Amino acid sequence: MQFMALIYSDEQAWESLPDAERASTLERYLEFGKRGRKSGAVVGGDELAPTSAATTVRVRGDETLVTDGPYAEVKEALGGYFLLECDSIDEACGLAAQIPAAQHGAVEVRPTFLDTEGER
Amino acid sequence: MKYALMVYGDQSAWEQMSEEEAKASRAESMPKWIALFEEMGRLDPNVDGKELDSATTAKTVRVRDGETLISDGPFAETKEQIGGIFLTDLPDLDTAIAIATKIPLAEHGSIEVRPVVEH
Repeated sequence: MQFMALIYSDEQAWESLPDAERASTLERYLEFGKRGRKSGAVVGGDELAPTSAATTVRVRGDETLVTDGPYAEVKEALGGYFLLECDSIDEACGLAAQIPAAQHGAVEVRPTFLDTEGER
Repeated sequence: MKYALMVYGDQSAWEQMSEEEAKASRAESMPKWIALFEEMGRLDPNVDGKELDSATTAKTVRVRDGETLISDGPFAETKEQIGGIFLTDLPDLDTAIAIATKIPLAEHGSIEVRPVVEH
């Protein structure tokens, strides 16, 4: 089964970290990804640009509404994800706990459909 | 530039629909999805998309002082929840916005477009 681990953390806190600390945290993310790819548990992942770079799009009737900024202005924002291949959601949660943001933010784990037929 | 197109919608509205309503809604949006996938595939043959299971199936993981805390449910209990992500390489933000308007869920939910950081 595949699971999406959605990473939520405080962007301001991240940006105000001293450079060395930010670099070492980034290193831990890369390490998590590298280790996971080797074992086969991590099959994908991306870091998103900060929410200040986000654009939100809605279509209502014939009108397209484009606004600057993220979908929701929250303190802890979605900052990236890992795609996990695990036998159960418990196993996925165990891996999610090793993602650095779990220690100050939160990681949401959600089963993912593999195709549009609803097969997991 | 690689973009993430995150699809937010009200999943409870979908879950509360009767079987017939859901069927009619699917039939109405299916041609739009097919047209979207065709256009996305033309712009980026490597486009990737993941549909997430309902937010009610989510678990949220936090580690505080070495202790792992796992709670049932999504990170944020909001009416609209993230239901899927598209990842695609597009020439610019305007193209990404144009694609976002064609995602059927943009008509009642919201699509957040965000650049992906390349490492």
